[in-house]
Amino acid sequence: MSRAKLLIDVGSTYFKVSTPSSIEQHFRDFNKDILDDLTHKCGETIHAYKKEDIYICSSANGGLSTLIIGITESFSLKYATNIAFNSGINIIDKVLYQNIQEYSVPSDLIDVVIVVGGIDSSCDIFGEPLFSYLKMLKYSNIVYVGSGKDASKIQEKIPNLVVLPNIIDHRLHIVEENLKEYLTNLYQLDIEGKEDIKNLYTITANQIYSTPYIVNQTLPFIGTKFSVVNPFILIDIGGATTDIHYSKDLVDDNIVTTNEYDRLVFKKLGVFKSKESLIFSAKNNEFVYELLTHLKVTENIFEQQSEKALQVLMQLALFLVLCKISHYKKAYINLKLLSINSIVLTGGITKVLADAQMEDIISFFYKKILNSNHNPSVVMDHNYDIWTLGLTNNKG
Amino acid sequence: MKVVIGVVGNDIHVVANRLIELSLGARGFEVFNLGVNTYLEEFFDAAVETNADVLLISSLNGEAEGWSREVKLLRSKYKTLDKLVMVIGGNLVVGTASAEEIVPKYKKYGFDLVFHQVDLNTGLDALEVYLGERKIS
Repeated sequence: MSRAKLLIDVGSTYFKVSTPSSIEQHFRDFNKDILDDLTHKCGETIHAYKKEDIYICSSANGGLSTLIIGITESFSLKYATNIAFNSGINIIDKVLYQNIQEYSVPSDLIDVVIVVGGIDSSCDIFGEPLFSYLKMLKYSNIVYVGSGKDASKIQEKIPNLVVLPNIIDHRLHIVEENLKEYLTNLYQLDIEGKEDIKNLYTITANQIYSTPYIVNQTLPFIGTKFSVVNPFILIDIGGATTDIHYSKDLVDDNIVTTNEYDRLVFKKLGVFKSKESLIFSAKNNEFVYELLTHLKVTENIFEQQSEKALQVLMQLALFLVLCKISHYKKAYINLKLLSINSIVLTGGITKVLADAQMEDIISFFYKKILNSNHNPSVVMDHNYDIWTLGLTNNKG
Repeated sequence: MKVVIGVVGNDIHVVANRLIELSLGARGFEVFNLGVNTYLEEFFDAAVETNADVLLISSLNGEAEGWSREVKLLRSKYKTLDKLVMVIGGNLVVGTASAEEIVPKYKKYGFDLVFHQVDLNTGLDALEVYLGERKIS
């Protein structure tokens, strides 16, 4: 018989502690180190377990940022974007190399720059404009995943450049594994490198993973816990980010990859840390005022600090994220939302909204935006089963 | 020599496209087949990624005309495709029209070689002659 495990998820706003018999959720005290906060609130539970039986995942740092430089929209930029999203990386900007001189240089420090372009038999793709642009850019890591023929020439010019095999094969198909592994490891190192997270190793002997990675790993087994009918989307609305995991069947794109589920991160659609940008997005959506009327509130609710205001923000986040992946908004990806059979909701939203409130928003979205009476079943992960399933099944 | 091929727009004539791939391969070309239902942007982007010499678009249901009107404008947005040879072939009109009418129209759209209802090998022979002449000049 396997020993009981203690599972801990450190989010940007809450942390959750799960034992075989209960699950606790606590609002984080941002004046305290995570470990201090955790032991202060759940010390007794934590000390009842051995380090080997404690498993932790975290999304507290919101993920890494990347800027991608590629030579075409349909291949290099598209493939690198797909891989970055699936590795839990937030894309700050995409630069089309032929116009690189026209792009403004982001002032923020970029965690990783991805340079990509050309099949292996192409050469002399990148030159001085790339090197000049990179001199102006502040970044921590840079990786080259373009034409193999150009790799050594580029490596001579760019210090600390990591060269990986091309993500575009000879048939112009995507090759995900190497870049995905590199980015996932970088994300992992970033999580482990955070002082707050490092301290957590005093209570666990197991590797600390990123929460989105754990959730994504769970999806093939979701049917063991929930009545979910494929194709489905899973929406995780939290304090800082909103993540969507979706079946590949919902995308028209002809990218052939090995994983069944992809993931999108909306970094600015959380209800606590990114509340202001959520409200900004809401005010720019022409249907939001109609939605507020439907919810029988006015925009003054944005100024309020109450349970009702939080509920409205959660409902807005859900509505906006559906808009962003629908054909109403031309985004990175548009999902075939009329084909989905289930919408699974997890994360903080399940603690704030009742089932009926979520169903109401989903039905409003389908009627107003997609002009349809389509009614996918809504599955609520009230007890964070998806996360616990992922953490207990993860083989590392 | 590298050639990007595919069928443009809402056209799923996959067999003809495969025959073009095989014939070009037999003639020593390095072929990048984008398949059917391909957008113009994808053709040009593939030419950039592969550093192709020739872009050969085929169309069998005649809808190429609608798409081809965009060719010149779209190509002008690319800074590295000046030397790309543009070829189109197949059945290039809905209904009937003679090659005399069709060919000048497509050349105006930006194609160097236009084959309307021309046998595949005859077309590819002409392509090879054209490429030879360009190389000499």
